[in-house]
Amino acid sequence: MSQSRNQRCLEPGLSVLVGTADAAGMPSCCRGIAISTADDLQTITVYVPVATSHETIQNVGVTRRVAVTVTHPRDNFATQFKGSAVEARLAREDEAPFVRARLDAFADVLDRIGVPRRVTRGMAHWPAFAVTLRVDQTFEQTPGPNAGRPIA
Amino acid sequence: MKVRVSDIRRCFQGVVPSMVATADGRGVPNVVYVSQVYFVDDRHVALSCQFFSKTRRNLDENPVACAEVMDPITLQAYRLKLKFLRSERSGPLFDTMSLRIDAIASHTGMAGVFKLIAADVFEVLSADLVEGYLMDAPVDAPAGASLDGLRTEVRGLQWVSDRINRATSLESLLSGVLEALEEYFTFSHTSVLLHDEANHRLTTLASRGYGRSGIGAEVGIGEGLIGTVARERRLLRLSSLDADLRYGRAIRRAAADGSRMLQEEIPLPGLPDAQSVLAIPLTVGDRLIGVIAAEDRDPMRFNEWHEAYLEVLANQIALGIDRMIERCDEPADTSPAIDAPAPLPAKPAAPRSRRRLTYYKHDDAIFVDDEYLIRNIPARILWKVLGESTRTGRTEFSNREMRIDPSLGLPPVKDNFESRLILLRHRLQEKCPDLQIVSTGRGRFALRADAVIEMSER
Repeated sequence: MSQSRNQRCLEPGLSVLVGTADAAGMPSCCRGIAISTADDLQTITVYVPVATSHETIQNVGVTRRVAVTVTHPRDNFATQFKGSAVEARLAREDEAPFVRARLDAFADVLDRIGVPRRVTRGMAHWPAFAVTLRVDQTFEQTPGPNAGRPIA
Repeated sequence: MKVRVSDIRRCFQGVVPSMVATADGRGVPNVVYVSQVYFVDDRHVALSCQFFSKTRRNLDENPVACAEVMDPITLQAYRLKLKFLRSERSGPLFDTMSLRIDAIASHTGMAGVFKLIAADVFEVLSADLVEGYLMDAPVDAPAGASLDGLRTEVRGLQWVSDRINRATSLESLLSGVLEALEEYFTFSHTSVLLHDEANHRLTTLASRGYGRSGIGAEVGIGEGLIGTVARERRLLRLSSLDADLRYGRAIRRAAADGSRMLQEEIPLPGLPDAQSVLAIPLTVGDRLIGVIAAEDRDPMRFNEWHEAYLEVLANQIALGIDRMIERCDEPADTSPAIDAPAPLPAKPAAPRSRRRLTYYKHDDAIFVDDEYLIRNIPARILWKVLGESTRTGRTEFSNREMRIDPSLGLPPVKDNFESRLILLRHRLQEKCPDLQIVSTGRGRFALRADAVIEMSER
């Protein structure tokens, strides 16, 4: 994946979606608040609110399979990562400022397209679980005929 | 907490995109945004299949999904567990979903590229409020724009019917209807476009809330939101225009790399920052009379109640317009002006301004002082009466003499002569107010010039 695309996937202001499935293949989804990486997207850590991610965390514990889609709300530029969870833990207090800053950035972006900041900031975001996955595949997810194609 | 799907119908208006997760046959999940989950009934919803995506392939392998939808007012999320039942490629559900997608596609210059392949129908296995999604309890939804209970439906029909019946001309009918829509429904940005069969276009003949600039605006059948409504003869209600257009433009950018030529985007008529649109076709039988459109900056302005109820009103409005067009086309009940002695041209009492009108044959258009005035049949009508007036001094004319003049190119039936005069009158008011077309009775009109008119042809 190109360096510029990598950067766009990590910018503040992204919408983050998390998909999992249980052992029987029944899918589940929840909203994430932030993603981060320490190794150029070889692994990513996605933060999901404890309040809304019970099913997601349960599924991760059983199957370890996770899909994460990040989208720029203003132009729908989107990328999906799929991989296996290597760690799922309660986020540490020292990660709270990062999570809060990402939520604020998301609120700023949505505010520019008509969703008031106070509304977005009212979404549950802390405490959060931090789920780290090893990225096996990356996909183009921007709407259009190329959506779903693997990105080398 | 379990909820009934019909109790969270606001989530299905497409204001806030929804997320959908599926998994393939090996249990590998996939999660994407969809612009809208469609409400079908209390036990069923539908998703649009526009591209043969991973979501679609997963459903073939493992026919279950999870959707998270959001109430656009309270921002509360709800999670639905779904079982895929079937893909519909025709029928009422397909047509409804297709109309919305076609309209957005056409508006963003993506007609034919961005289209509905199938309506995928799901059984709702469960629907739950996502506990803890909002840190504070969601605020109660405001009463909103719905007028349920405030005024009776019968009273509304009576209100609009009265305006239609009191109208003495097509112009007063159109303005009366828009006035009634503002008074009764508080729709403050509305327009009526009438169908011109001769050039297969819709022309704005009345508007409210836009100033004068909307009159005369044209849109081709099948072009943009309103043109698509006209072509399909189906009502369209969009609740999140911004999001839909961003989505359409994203696809346009993605498709622009290909070899297909994309048409230029058509500017929306009316409010530049409209967030919701309600466009209703006006038809009599199978015949398209026009389109009535309302816009608002509030993304939740129009609801299902408006949709169902205004469809009934639209029938009345269409019949009223059609009747008025017929009546206006009746021959004048007095001797045609062509037989009347030509009155002497009045001498100007004071020095008058000069207006230079140029008719461009190739474009079939008239410019006044180098500014576009009007084109097609209304332009030919103006050129004819101006020429006649210059040659003979006549200022009074009849509709009948215009209708039988083959050089004007009016269709032999349903020529919409009155609507062309309305358009001409408005354009003159806007661009050349010292030249007027004035009604002098049924089937008659007069030319009034307070300026010296210089005519030339190119």
